[in-house]
Amino acid sequence: MKKFFVAVMSCVALVAAAAGAGNAAGYTADPQQSRLEFAGVQAGAEFKGVFHKFTAAVDFAPDALASSRIDVQIDMASVDSLDKDRDTTIRGKDIFDVAHNATAHYVTKTISKTAAGYAAVGSLTLRGVTKDVPIEFQFTPAAGSAKLAGTAKLNRLDFGVGQGDWKSTETIGDAVKINFSLVLKPKT
Amino acid sequence: MPNQSPPTRYSAVAQGFHWIIAALIVTQFTLAWLADDLPLGARKLVLLARHKSFGMTILMLAVLRLVWRLFNRPPELPAGMTSIERTLARGTHMLFYALLFVMPLTGWMMSSAKNYSVSWFDQFTWPNLIAPDERAFAVLRTVHDTLSWLLFAVAILHILAALKHHFWNKDDVLKRMLPFTKSEKRS
Repeated sequence: MKKFFVAVMSCVALVAAAAGAGNAAGYTADPQQSRLEFAGVQAGAEFKGVFHKFTAAVDFAPDALASSRIDVQIDMASVDSLDKDRDTTIRGKDIFDVAHNATAHYVTKTISKTAAGYAAVGSLTLRGVTKDVPIEFQFTPAAGSAKLAGTAKLNRLDFGVGQGDWKSTETIGDAVKINFSLVLKPKT
Repeated sequence: MPNQSPPTRYSAVAQGFHWIIAALIVTQFTLAWLADDLPLGARKLVLLARHKSFGMTILMLAVLRLVWRLFNRPPELPAGMTSIERTLARGTHMLFYALLFVMPLTGWMMSSAKNYSVSWFDQFTWPNLIAPDERAFAVLRTVHDTLSWLLFAVAILHILAALKHHFWNKDDVLKRMLPFTKSEKRS
């Protein structure tokens, strides 16, 4: 009887341990402190912009990458390149077409450890087109929060960002750099 | 300097600066006028990108030209000119030099204020002179536009004066700035 009890308890402990190891901690990005920035090339010169409105739900633990996940929703109309004329053009139907594609969505599929930090491949849905985009990032835990910061590169034309005149890469380069810095708070 | 007496003609270097910059200024007005009527689009950005590249070229040439001018005497004004004419001629030339700097600099600041950084023919990007600021852009745009009209007016005055010297006074003021011509010897 005593032996049986120990065996049962051991099983419970094992299952609990396994579940614990596989559970990445849940976070959401603090909108005040988090930043999502992009940089493109316009007429030979780099220009930068940010998205003011986006939400990020992050499940992450360095020892549970298989169940870790980064999920970001971006309000495309919140684009700000520090010039109203340009922002209006970017929101228009030839570029972001926010009237029909108000949000962009990025969710990771796999996350792996690299020498510098972590690398992930996720699917980005932008302007109605879904394609894989790799990202690289660092995860820095802190007391009661964590920081997740990294970069990505994508080609805007893969997503049809730029129709008509804006298809030409002579004026606006195809490559766009993304920089993000998320301050994560535990999910409540 | 080996030659103490003033030259009778503008040197090849002076003529080079004069005509290259003159051609660039004509190009600048053309590009600005073409771009002005267009809505924000790829074509407007291309025209303005060229306008900025040529503008920065003018600024670089203006620096070289001013340095060169400080160390090289231009030919003297014809003896028969009245003091008012001399003042007007000197004032026009000084205004030209000032505008060669002020026009590109206000343009560069405009681009910075609008967060449209200035590339030089896609080769490199100039740093922004000021932080993005809508109100600063509006002020700078007005200054740049107004000064372009001043430049236009001064250029017309300059051309009419050169023609007046050539056809009315029949002196060598125009010829001494023209390549492939000979100025009459003045003793």
